[in-house]
Amino acid sequence: MARRYDTRTTIFSPEGRLYQVEYAMEAISHAGTSLGILATDGILLAAERRNTNKLLDEVFFSEKIYKLNDDMVCSVAGITSDANVLTNELRLIAQRYLLQYGESIPCEQLVSWLCDVKQAYTQYGGKRPFGVSILYMGWDKHYGYQLYQSDPSGNYGGWKATCIGNNSAAAVSSLKQEYKENETTLAEAQALAIKVLSKTLDMTKLTPEKVEMATLTRKDNKTIIRVLTSTEVEKLIADFEKSEAAAEAAKKQPPKS
Amino acid sequence: MSILAYNGGAVVAMRGQDCVAIATDKRFGIQAQTVSTNFPKVYRMGPTLFVGLPGLATDTQTVHQRLKFRMNLYELKENRVMRPKTFSAMLSNMLYEKRFGPYFIEPVIAGLDPYDNQPYVCNMDLIGCPNEPEDFVVSGTCSEQLYGMCEALWEPNLKPDELFETISQALVNAADRDAISGWGAVVYIIEKDKITEKHVKTRMD
Repeated sequence: MARRYDTRTTIFSPEGRLYQVEYAMEAISHAGTSLGILATDGILLAAERRNTNKLLDEVFFSEKIYKLNDDMVCSVAGITSDANVLTNELRLIAQRYLLQYGESIPCEQLVSWLCDVKQAYTQYGGKRPFGVSILYMGWDKHYGYQLYQSDPSGNYGGWKATCIGNNSAAAVSSLKQEYKENETTLAEAQALAIKVLSKTLDMTKLTPEKVEMATLTRKDNKTIIRVLTSTEVEKLIADFEKSEAAAEAAKKQPPKS
Repeated sequence: MSILAYNGGAVVAMRGQDCVAIATDKRFGIQAQTVSTNFPKVYRMGPTLFVGLPGLATDTQTVHQRLKFRMNLYELKENRVMRPKTFSAMLSNMLYEKRFGPYFIEPVIAGLDPYDNQPYVCNMDLIGCPNEPEDFVVSGTCSEQLYGMCEALWEPNLKPDELFETISQALVNAADRDAISGWGAVVYIIEKDKITEKHVKTRMD
């Protein structure tokens, strides 16, 4: 039944669905996880690195986390080549705004602009949608720290904590339980991110090579964007494993007494 | 009346030993009328990269903004700081793009290469023809006077303090022989790990 209505993006199915857009989202649900958490004193993005082949030449700075301008960073999930095109466009949009208005682009505007571009690919042109979902973290003088998520349909939303990619639904429900609004500091958010990532990473154990994390904070009226070093990530993973072990041990205690 | 002499102004840059210096006057005027005495024409584009944009003031501001645009994108994409030589090439290209309707500025670039700390100075005409000499570069409405002063005062391998004296004297004395340059001056001394900004007291006429 779907066969007749899914080969072109620009038509609806009889049930009112856009199949190409849904298929794009399906592609993303198989890609490496990315999650973002808004804390009281900053924001963080964490991502699962899929390309950990030993033969890969370590040239790049980051596989999934991209700096967009002085105040915004994004993380992607989905088809990497599509992501490169979109992040390039995001950087151009931000610079054009800076050139035109002499100030940094507000976070929501940047997201909104790109989503208009993404939406165009679902309505005209006869081209397929971009197979990328993007998480944006940024600061602007209007609303402070913000976290946004956009998907291939061109929809976007502001979030306190969210996840895209493989096992994202499980991650989001996990975040829903553990995240405390207005009470989570950046340090707690980092620990929470590692915890959630370890659950979404299929069977494999967390290692520093598999995880990328970036934080955004403000100091002295300037935004500071940092990608954590593998030593810092290693420490977070070690702390997590320690607390896991402690929790396991605590569970075993009661039967003895 | 030349368009390049509508607002007036002067910039000079010199090479020293493991350092460069760039200096600008601070006058902003509309023909004979001086409107502001706080309009330096030198902008910092990178940790050790400065560009001076004397000429038509509106183009000074616009070219600076457009350069920032291109540099920001470069640094985001390439994930590294731009070298002065590359910046020169980019500015030259940008000016030539407007070959038949140019920006009325004749820029001066001064910087230390971020990777090997070599000093670099460059100037170009309004359509982007670059000139990369070993000693000094000048630009602005008193460029002839500046050439004379620099030729007389400059010598190779000047230390940062000596370079400061040399470049300040060159700029101040040249600007004093030009009605539409002067009204204050700013000098930047660029060394590997330190940038010094000094506001020089000049004749305010």
